Amino acid sequence: MGKKFLKFEYLLLFAVFTIATCGLVYELVAGTLASYLLGDSVKQFSFIIGVYLFAMGVGSYFAKFLTKNMLNTFVEIEILVGLIGGLSSVVLFLLFESVYSFQFILYLLVFITGCLVGLEIPLLMNILKDKVQFRDLVSNVFTFDYIGALLASILFPLVLVPKLGIMGTSLFFGMINVSIAIALCFLLKAELKSVYLLRTKAIGAFLILFIVYLFSNSILSYSEGKLYGENIIYSNATPYQRIVLTHNKSDYRLYLNNNLQFSSTDEYRYHEALVHPAMSMAKKVDNVLVLGGGDGLAVREILKYKDVKHVTLVDLDEGMTKLFQTNSVLTKFNQNSLNNAKVEVLNKDAFVWAKNTKKQYDVVVVDFPDPSNYSLGKLYSWSFYSTLKQILTPDAVVVVQTTSPYFAPKSFWCINKTMMEVFPQVDAYHAYVPSFGEWGFSIAMNGFQTNFNTVNRQVEGLRFYNYQFDKFNYFAKDMISKDIEINRLDNQILVRYFDEEWGKL
Amino acid sequence: MKNGENYNTSRRFFVKTVALALLAVPFLQACQEKVIQVLIRLSGTNHILGHRLRTKNFPKPTKQIHIPYLIVGGGISALSAARQFSKKGIHDFLVVELENHLGGNSSSGENKYSKYPLGAHYLPLPNKSDQELLDFLEEEAIIQGYDHKGFPIFDVQQLTFAPDERLFYRNNWQEGLVPKTGNTPNEDAQIQDFFLKMSTFRAGKDKNGVYYFDIPLSKSSQEPSIRALDKLTMQQWITQEGYTAQPLLNYIDYCCRDDFGLGIKEVSAWAGIHYFAARKQDTAPDGNDTVLTWPEGNARLASHLKKYTHSKTLTNHIVFDVKIENNKVIAATFDAQNQSSLEIIADKVIMATPQFVNQYFFKDRKKITKDFHYAPWFLATLVVSELPDNGSFPLCWDNVIYGSKGLGYIYDQHQTVQQIQPKKVITYYYSFSTLEIKKNRRLLYSQKENYWKQIVLDDLKMAHPTIESFIEDIHIHRLGHGMISPVPDFIFGQAKKEASASIDNRIFFAHSDLAGISIFEEAFHQGINIVNTILDGAAVD
Repeated sequence: MGKKFLKFEYLLLFAVFTIATCGLVYELVAGTLASYLLGDSVKQFSFIIGVYLFAMGVGSYFAKFLTKNMLNTFVEIEILVGLIGGLSSVVLFLLFESVYSFQFILYLLVFITGCLVGLEIPLLMNILKDKVQFRDLVSNVFTFDYIGALLASILFPLVLVPKLGIMGTSLFFGMINVSIAIALCFLLKAELKSVYLLRTKAIGAFLILFIVYLFSNSILSYSEGKLYGENIIYSNATPYQRIVLTHNKSDYRLYLNNNLQFSSTDEYRYHEALVHPAMSMAKKVDNVLVLGGGDGLAVREILKYKDVKHVTLVDLDEGMTKLFQTNSVLTKFNQNSLNNAKVEVLNKDAFVWAKNTKKQYDVVVVDFPDPSNYSLGKLYSWSFYSTLKQILTPDAVVVVQTTSPYFAPKSFWCINKTMMEVFPQVDAYHAYVPSFGEWGFSIAMNGFQTNFNTVNRQVEGLRFYNYQFDKFNYFAKDMISKDIEINRLDNQILVRYFDEEWGKL
Repeated sequence: MKNGENYNTSRRFFVKTVALALLAVPFLQACQEKVIQVLIRLSGTNHILGHRLRTKNFPKPTKQIHIPYLIVGGGISALSAARQFSKKGIHDFLVVELENHLGGNSSSGENKYSKYPLGAHYLPLPNKSDQELLDFLEEEAIIQGYDHKGFPIFDVQQLTFAPDERLFYRNNWQEGLVPKTGNTPNEDAQIQDFFLKMSTFRAGKDKNGVYYFDIPLSKSSQEPSIRALDKLTMQQWITQEGYTAQPLLNYIDYCCRDDFGLGIKEVSAWAGIHYFAARKQDTAPDGNDTVLTWPEGNARLASHLKKYTHSKTLTNHIVFDVKIENNKVIAATFDAQNQSSLEIIADKVIMATPQFVNQYFFKDRKKITKDFHYAPWFLATLVVSELPDNGSFPLCWDNVIYGSKGLGYIYDQHQTVQQIQPKKVITYYYSFSTLEIKKNRRLLYSQKENYWKQIVLDDLKMAHPTIESFIEDIHIHRLGHGMISPVPDFIFGQAKKEASASIDNRIFFAHSDLAGISIFEEAFHQGINIVNTILDGAAVD
C-alpha cells in the first residue's frame, strides 16, 4: 500500500510540475504574441503577467467550491488547460485580424488559462491532504511548481521559440499537458470514476492539438514576421511587386520585393539629395517629371518649389500609388503630395510612355528600383536615356538614382558613363543615408546654359541639402571604378556589374 | 494598435485566402481537366493548292495579261528581285504568289500579345564585304550610319537584347548555347579546339585571297582541298578530326539541325563548317556574333522589301504551267479566289520558286529535283500566363534544351522595352532531322493538333515541368518543305548547276535552294543577281 501511495503522490507532483511549466509557457506565449502583434513589449508583458497571476488567484478562490469527484475534476482541468493553452496562440494569431476584439480575446484566454492553472494547485492539495502530511504537501507542491516555472522560463527563449516557434511551442506544451491527463487516466483508473469517458475526452483533446500542430508550420510560414523581424503593419502583393510596410518604435520602413525602399527616419536625406540639386540648377521648373517614385516622397520635395506648375509621376504600379494616395499613415509621409492638384499620376510603363509622350519637361527625376534584373536594366540603358532626351526642354536637368557608389562602384559609374553618351553635361554625387549606406546619383544637363554649381532657386527648411553641390560630388578612392562599359540593350552589362557587386555582399 | 486597420486588411486577406485555398483545392483538382481549355490552331503553307500542280486539274485560261517581267513566287528572292528591278528603274513587273501574303519563309503571325515568326526569325550581322546587304540595311535605317572607324552603327533596338541565349543542360539553364557546366577537362579542350579550328577556317583565304567560306556562298574559294569537304558528312569530318566529346557533338548537331534541318549525320561537312566560318563578325567593333531580330522575325525584312511590289502583286494565284511561244513566256495561272485561270504573257520570267515546285513546269526536271532535299518543319507559338522554371538563368531570346529533338524556343517579346508582359509568347521550332523526309512529311500532314501539342509539351517539360497548366493558346504552323538541306555533293553538285541554268534567255531561276543553304542573305543575293543577269543579257541583246 505504501509503495502504491508513493507512486500516486509522485505522479500528482509530476503533474504539478508540468502544469507549472505549461502554465508559464502559455503566459510567455501570450506575452510574446501580444508584444509582437501589438508592440510595446514592456506594457504587454506586464499586463499579461498581472492578469495571469490575478486569474490564478481567482481560480484558487473557486477551488474551494469543488468538493466532489476532485480527482476527476483535476484530470478534466488538466485536459482543458492543455486544450485552451495549447490552442491560444493559434487562436490569437488567426484572430488578430479583428483588432477591436483582439485585446479582449487575448486577455480572456490569458484569464481562463490562469484560472484553470490556479484551480489545480489547491485542488491537488485537497486531493492529497489526507494522504500526506500537510507540511510536506505544501513544500513539495510549491517546490515542483517553482522548478517547473524556472525550467519554462529558461527553455522558452533559448530552445522553444527558436526551435518550435511561438505557435509550435504552445501546441507542443498543450500536448504534454493533455498527455499527463491521459497518463493519469490509465494509471489512476482505480481512483477515477467513469474513466472511459475521461479517457475519450483526453485522447480527443490530444488529437485536436496534434492535428493543429501538423498544420502549424504551414500557417506560420505565411508569417512575414520571420523575414523582417519588425512589426508588419501592411503587406500586399500587387501584380508587379510585394509591398510591405513595417513599424518599429518611431521608424516606418517600406520594402518592395523585400528590398528596403525607405526608412521614415532618414528618407529625407535621400529625397532631398535626389530632388533639390536638380531643382535648384534647372533654368525653369514649370513641368517636372518623376519616373518611378510611386511613394510620392520625391514629389513632396518638388512641390516645395512654388514655381512648379505641373508634376507628372509615371509609376507602373497602381497598387503603390493608390496606397500612397489613400493610406493615412503614408499620406502623412508624403504630405499628401500625390493628391495635390498640380500632380498627375500615370500608371504606365515608363519606357513605353516616354517613347510616346508629346510633352517636354524641365526637370526629370528618375527613381527606379536598382537594376537587379534584365527588365529593370533596360531602364538604365543608352536607349532609355536617348528616349528621355527627346522629351526634355533645352537645358533641362535629369537626375537618376544610381545605386551605391561604395557597394557597387562599377554599376554606379556604368550608369554615369551611359548618361555621358547621351547628355552634354553629366556629373555624379552622393549622400549618406544611414539605412541605405552611401548612396549615389547621376545628374545631367541637356545643354550648356547652366552648370552644376548654378543655384537658380532654393527653398527654406531643408534638413540635409544646403545647395552647395560641390560638397557632394567628391568621390574618395574606394568609390571610383574605371574601365567600365556603356549599358546597352544588347549587352545589359549593368545588370552583370550589379549582380557581381551586390552578389558579393 | 496603431495602423491596425492596415494590418487588419492583410490579416483578413491572409486568413480568407488560406481558407479559400484549402476549400478550393479538391474542387480545382476535380475540374483541372476542364479548366485548362487550350485553344489550338493548325496552319501551314497552302499545300493543298500546291499539290494540285501534280495533277494540274485547273480550269482553262479565260483571259490574258501582258507584262514585261514576271516574278513567280513571293519569298525573299522574289521580293529582292522586285527591289532590284525598281532600283534599276524598271517598274513593269508582276509578282505572283500562291499564298494570300508575300514573304515565304519570312512570314509572321500575330496574336493579342505579340507578333511572332512563322519561319526565319533573325539575320546575323552582315559581312563587311557584303555591300549590297549593308546598303539595304542602311536604306531601312537598320544601319543608322557609320562610325569614325567605318563600322556600321546598327539600331540598338533591332540587335538582340541581352541576355540572348541560354541552354538547359544538366538540369540547369546556363548562359550561351555551348554546353559548359560540368564538362570534363577533355571535353572543354575539344570544344576549345573546335572553335579555334573554326576561326582558322573563318579567317582562311586561298592563294587568290578569296575566303574559303563566304556569304553568298558562291563567293567562297574554289580551292579543291576545301571543296572536298563537301564529299563528307559533318559526322565523317568530326570523326576524322578526332572529336569525340558528346557535348560538342551535340552542339554541332544542334547548329546543323537549326540551320539546315538535318543533323551532322546527314549534312555536308562543307555546309557544316560554312555555318561557323562564313560570318566574319567584322562589322561589330568588338567582333561579337550578335544578330538582328524582330518580334515577327524576318517578316520585318520581308515587309521592307514588300514596298517595291506595291500594286504589282497577285496573291492567291498559282502558276501551273510555263512555256515559251513566239519569243514570249506564257505562264498559265490559276486564281484561287475566283476559281478561274488566266495567261500571263511576259518577256522574261523569274522563277523565284523552289525546285520541288519547278519540277512540275519543265520537262526532264524531276531527275534534277531528286537531289534537292527539303526538311519538313513545324513551329508552335504558345501563349502562356507564366513560364516558370528553376530560375537558374533568366529567360533569353533563344532558349534551347540540350538533348532535345526540337530546336528550343524563341521568346517573341524579347525585343520590347516594356517591364512586364501580361502574357508571354514563345515560338518553339522543330525540324524533322532524318533522311526519311517523305515519311516525315506525311506524318506532318496526317497527324492532328494534339499529337504535335504533345511533342512540344514533352520537350518543353524537361525545362518547364509545369508549363502545361499555364498554356492558353497554341498555334502550330507546318512547313512541309521547311528549307533546303545541303547533303554531301549537293552544294557543288551537278543538279544545282543544271537547275540554275536559264532557259532560252527567257526563263530564269532564283531561290535560296539554288544557293544550297536557306538563309536570308542567299535569297537576297539570288534576287539581285538574277535581275542583274537579265538586264546585262538584255543589254547584250
